Amino acid sequence: MLEIKDAQRLAELRRKHGREAQADPAAPVEERPDVRRRQPRFCGLESGHRACQGCGEALGARLVTETAGPDVMIANATGCLEVFSTPWPESAWRVPWIHSLFENAAAVASGMEAAMKSQGKRTKVIAQGGDGGTFDIGFQALSGMLERYHNVLYVCYDNEAYMNTGIQRSGSTPHAASTTTSPSGSERMGKRHLKKNLLAIIAAHHVPYAASASVAYPVDIRRKVRRAMDVEGPTFLLIHSPCPLGWGHDGAKSIEIARLAVQTGLFPLVEFERGEVVSVMPIREPKPVAEYLKNQNRFRHLFNDSDPRALEEREHLQALADYNIDIYGLRGDGPDVMDTDGVDTVRRGGPVQVM
Amino acid sequence: MAILTRSAFAEPGTSLDFKTGSWRTLKPIHNHRKAPCHDACPAGEDQQAWLAKLQENRVQESWETLTDINPLPAVTGRVCPHPCETACNRGQFDKSIAIHSLERFLGDEAIKNGWEYPNVDPLLPDAPPMAVVGAGPAGLSAAYHLRRRGYSVTMFESLTEPGGLLRAAIPMTRLPRDVLDAELDRLFALGVDLRLRHRLGRDVSLDELRAQYGAVFLGIGCQKSREWSVGGAVPADLHEGLHLLKGWVDHLSMPEAERVVIHGGGNTAVDLCRIMKRKGAKEVHLITASGLPGPDTAPDDVINVVPRELEEALEEGVIIHPHATIQRLIMRGSKVVGVEMVSLRKLPGSGGRKARVSFEGTERVLNTDMVVPCIGEVVDPEGVTDLLHGRSYLRPDDEWGRLDTANHEGLFVGGDARGDRGTVSAAIGDGRKAAKAMDAYVRGLSGPESDDREVISFSQLNLNYFEHADRAKVTKVPPELRTDDTEIEGGLTGPLAYAEAARCFSCGNCLACDNCWTFCPDSAVIKTAEKANDGSYYLFDMDYCKGCGICASECPCGFIDMIPER
Repeated sequence: MLEIKDAQRLAELRRKHGREAQADPAAPVEERPDVRRRQPRFCGLESGHRACQGCGEALGARLVTETAGPDVMIANATGCLEVFSTPWPESAWRVPWIHSLFENAAAVASGMEAAMKSQGKRTKVIAQGGDGGTFDIGFQALSGMLERYHNVLYVCYDNEAYMNTGIQRSGSTPHAASTTTSPSGSERMGKRHLKKNLLAIIAAHHVPYAASASVAYPVDIRRKVRRAMDVEGPTFLLIHSPCPLGWGHDGAKSIEIARLAVQTGLFPLVEFERGEVVSVMPIREPKPVAEYLKNQNRFRHLFNDSDPRALEEREHLQALADYNIDIYGLRGDGPDVMDTDGVDTVRRGGPVQVM
Repeated sequence: MAILTRSAFAEPGTSLDFKTGSWRTLKPIHNHRKAPCHDACPAGEDQQAWLAKLQENRVQESWETLTDINPLPAVTGRVCPHPCETACNRGQFDKSIAIHSLERFLGDEAIKNGWEYPNVDPLLPDAPPMAVVGAGPAGLSAAYHLRRRGYSVTMFESLTEPGGLLRAAIPMTRLPRDVLDAELDRLFALGVDLRLRHRLGRDVSLDELRAQYGAVFLGIGCQKSREWSVGGAVPADLHEGLHLLKGWVDHLSMPEAERVVIHGGGNTAVDLCRIMKRKGAKEVHLITASGLPGPDTAPDDVINVVPRELEEALEEGVIIHPHATIQRLIMRGSKVVGVEMVSLRKLPGSGGRKARVSFEGTERVLNTDMVVPCIGEVVDPEGVTDLLHGRSYLRPDDEWGRLDTANHEGLFVGGDARGDRGTVSAAIGDGRKAAKAMDAYVRGLSGPESDDREVISFSQLNLNYFEHADRAKVTKVPPELRTDDTEIEGGLTGPLAYAEAARCFSCGNCLACDNCWTFCPDSAVIKTAEKANDGSYYLFDMDYCKGCGICASECPCGFIDMIPER
């Protein structure tokens, strides 16, 4: 419940910014329907945020905070997540949350962690950002945070381009994807370069835990967040988060597309400890990458049959997926309850796997 | 400073002030489609509904949901050809759910634990009494549903025991009589007045019934054999199939023969084949115009027999000649010594109706000492001649069983007497529907409404969330150990039954799997057991739902639809 003076200040701000005034700042705040209050999970990212329909990043952030919370603090890099969750003077976060700059989420988190430590508190600090703020702009701050061994969980929501500023290519954009700065045309079939293998770079910092996850597998995300929260020292999660606007797909298909990225081998789900792969999510039946690519406009040029480069690039992506399957040993030996088809099994009452 | 709890709640000043619901162009709704099992069930059971209870380990509630529709689950679980399993969407994924075994499991549990029927209204003081003629499956079902609606019911049965064909013609190897007795005792314990040895037309007339009762249900079945001859020839020692079967079930008598030819394509024919075989006949031939299930046979041309029974008959060595008929009897004097068989097919003729066409050059001769026709029965006109109008059956005017509405009111019919039924389950369904219509009739209401919801197809499910799982196997007595009165198929025990029920996809209805709740990026799906009243466990918070459609795509059961806003 807000103090009265806070409510008055809020009303003042609302007037100033042309928002509708609430009836009486001194009057008791209208109660939300009880059902929303009594949800049997912690809600770290509340409704009313401005993410697009079918946003993978909003889903990822909700899953991470509901698992990590409530005793956490967040430092956020600039990006979609920061913009859609905190249009001033509102916030969708239910945990302490700081945004400073694009490049310094990891540095801010390092300071927060040091402050908690000096006060003798055990509140966990989470730093989070998109792939732009992690792979490219915030990379040196992240590397420093890992090297200084801060007890921080860094979560990167990987939607494979700078979506907030208008879909510019990033170090994470996959090969051959079309963005506004790597358009497909007579010169190039989308992005010329390869997706940066960030997880291997993080792992090379000899951190205790680094893993990739996908919003298509919430049970797996929850397990990895818990594991990362338990570990003392810097930990890292890379969460594949479809972007309907930037990838050019129907928002309703976000989960299906994320699932296909994993099932084709293009986005392998692996866990590193101290630089070594300790666990992977096996793929039961690897699917052809075309199934993943065909529903996304950013890969539409790869299905132009009159262009001989289209097939070549499709085969290139297939080879990259096969390479992932090969080097991480993703091909399972027979059906397994923990593989890409088994881990999302449901029954009456919820998911079968509870980790 | 506010203390953050597990369910700490943000107050104004947060984004909850901003109603993102205004962005929506499509909105999610829960759409409870019919599961294919429910749609295919002649009795009208909603298998998905009672399997859901069983998945929650609520065994008695599951049985109660089942008996809301079908009073005799231990019987139908044993004798029904289970079209539900044929329709089951899981059949396209791995193997269909063993619905009949689970139905039998529930029925047997109810008998073992002495459960009583739920939702039985006390007798209505002012309601007119109802008459039910015939204590077979149709009549029993009508009486049960009428009694549950608060009517006093009087049943008239010509035989000395209730049960109709269940008792008179279904072999003990399929339906042990203690099971039948237990279910009938429980039904009559509801307070139905059963008058045995009362034959319609002899002991009581239709006019008397119509004068004394508010409405009359005729579940009189078909008691008269259809005339059978081949080109006018009839053997002197002709035995008719159903008559033989009844005699055998009643006092285990069966004429002896070395080589038997049975002509027909129903359960009676197959039952008789197997009994003859067990009684020591060297060869038993079944000649049927229908086909065996397989790619060569159109679905509407498959022999109308419980699939399991057909399989067991083949195991026991019965020889089946599908797509064939008897063209000529080879007689020595008045005794038959052989038959000439010819191949035929049901083919579309002129005018679109299918007609049977026999093929010249396919004639074969079978030596035999006995030919038994099992070609069906017709309504015995005694007592109902006026209603037949010269036809063989009492064909009702609508699905609710209203009979001869041009000349009478308050007459209803169901079961085999309709002429287009042929299973216990269909008879039970007729009884239930007629009871509804009789209730509406005496209250002066317009008839009950049909359920015209859409049936959910396999392609509307999201199969990513299901794993393959083996269908439960039941025990079976091997052919060499089969006797006349021990049940051949075994039942499921508790743990196996729960595992089998857990395989149900919950087609078209909420599985309570949390997918919509978990995947909503906007926390606009609210989980609640108490507030959701549409059969689900979730609400959509339309203040915040942006209409992205993830919940609809990721619902494993096809329970969520996106419809245009306004």
